[in-house]
Formats: sequence, C-alpha cells, structure tokens
Amino acid sequence: MSFTLRSVKVPPNSANLEEARSRVFEFFKTACRSLPSIMDMYNLDDVASKSQLRSVISSEIRKNSHVTNPKVIDMLLFKGTEDLNNILEHAKQRHHIIGQYVVGPQGLVQDLDPKDRGMSNFLKNFYRSNYF
Amino acid sequence: MALRTAVLRHIRVPAQTLTLTGSKQQQWSLSGSFRFMSSHDDHLTREDVIERVLSVVKSFPKVDPAQVTPEVHFQKDLGLDSLDNVEIVMALEEEFKLEIPDKEADKIDTCNLAIEYIYNHPMAS
Repeated sequence: MSFTLRSVKVPPNSANLEEARSRVFEFFKTACRSLPSIMDMYNLDDVASKSQLRSVISSEIRKNSHVTNPKVIDMLLFKGTEDLNNILEHAKQRHHIIGQYVVGPQGLVQDLDPKDRGMSNFLKNFYRSNYF
Repeated sequence: MALRTAVLRHIRVPAQTLTLTGSKQQQWSLSGSFRFMSSHDDHLTREDVIERVLSVVKSFPKVDPAQVTPEVHFQKDLGLDSLDNVEIVMALEEEFKLEIPDKEADKIDTCNLAIEYIYNHPMAS
C-alpha cells in the first residue's frame, strides 16, 4: 500500500529546461546515494562495484540527453523515480537488477528504441527474430 | 551431555588471579593516553586528501589518468560533461564518506576545489 501511494505522487512540472536539468542531477544524486543500500539488499557486491553501477545510471540518463522538452524530461524522471522506488521497496528480484543494470549495458538487453542507433541492423534483426 | 558434565567437572577457573590483577589493569587503562573508540582526533593530512582525490578522478572510466593533476578542470581539461562532473562528486562523497550539499557540489568543478572542500570538511575520513 505504501509504495503504491508513494509512486502515485507526482511533483509539479518543471517550468523550464534549466529546472528540469537540475532535477535530473538531483535524481542522479538520490540514485547514487541509495546505491549502498541497494547493493546490500540484492547482494550485488560480488557482481558489480558501486562505481560501475554509478556509470550505468549515468549512461541511462545520457541515453536521453537529446531530449529538450521539459515535459518529456519530467516524464522520464518520473519513470526513473518509479523504477528506483520499486528497487528500494524490493519489488524486484536480484536477477532483474543484474539483467537490467549489470549485464544489460554490455549488450544482452534488446533495447529496440531510437536510443540505440549505434547497433548494427544485422544484430537488431537477429534479436527481433528470436524474441517474439 | 555426559561429556559436557565431565568437562565441566574438570575445568577449574582460577578466580583469584582476576581479583589480584584487577587493580593493576584499572590503573593501566586510566593512565593510558590512547583512547580506542574516540573519533576524529586525527584529521586527514593534505597530502592524503590530494592523493585520494586524484586516485578517484583517475579511476573514472572516461578520464585519461596521465592528464590528471591537482589543477585540472573537469569539464575544460578532461573533456567531461556536467553529468560526469556530478558523477565524480558522488564518487568523492563515497570515498570520503561525506554528503556534499547541492550548492557546494555545483561549485566543485576542479580537482583543487574538491581537495580544498574535502580538506576543510570536519567529517571527512
């Protein structure tokens, strides 16, 4: 009950790009500061280091660096906060975290968005044909 | 159970040695100037701070370790962006077990400023 209520709470929209930008940094800091408890909770010490996870968070943020609309940034921030809350509420399991944030950046996750422009077409089609 | 009682029957604790040496031990602990659990008696030395800050910056994946000097500017000299800057500040927070408030964290953009801030911080360890 508590986590549904907490995740429903929406902060007011950012007025301009500058405010949205500072909110992104704020979110990044909150995520980084909750890393020690996350690593404790999911026993991540033997698969990843804090600095590695920190880089993963920042690369997730950097994936959306081309977005300039404050409303879209707010929406992405909301999604990120939701994900962070879910992780902190232990709504996920260890392999979710490992698959998404530890193994994911090295390329086992099929992120078929305009975000991953660097990936070759061959690989994209290959993955698509294997995962219906 | 039988083993335990057998063992207990044969063990004799020398009780009087404690009472004999008790006064001596008390004296020792009072006169000793070394306070085991006391905190922050020894502050970080400046060289120590410099060395640890530089090693944190050098271990950052996007940074070329050869370029890192105490005077280096994160964004101008090392080619990092503002998010990398925040990431380095968070790494420093973790290394020195601090929590740097947003206003100060925004100002830290060179190694020198980071060293100054951490050296003057009372809780840095």
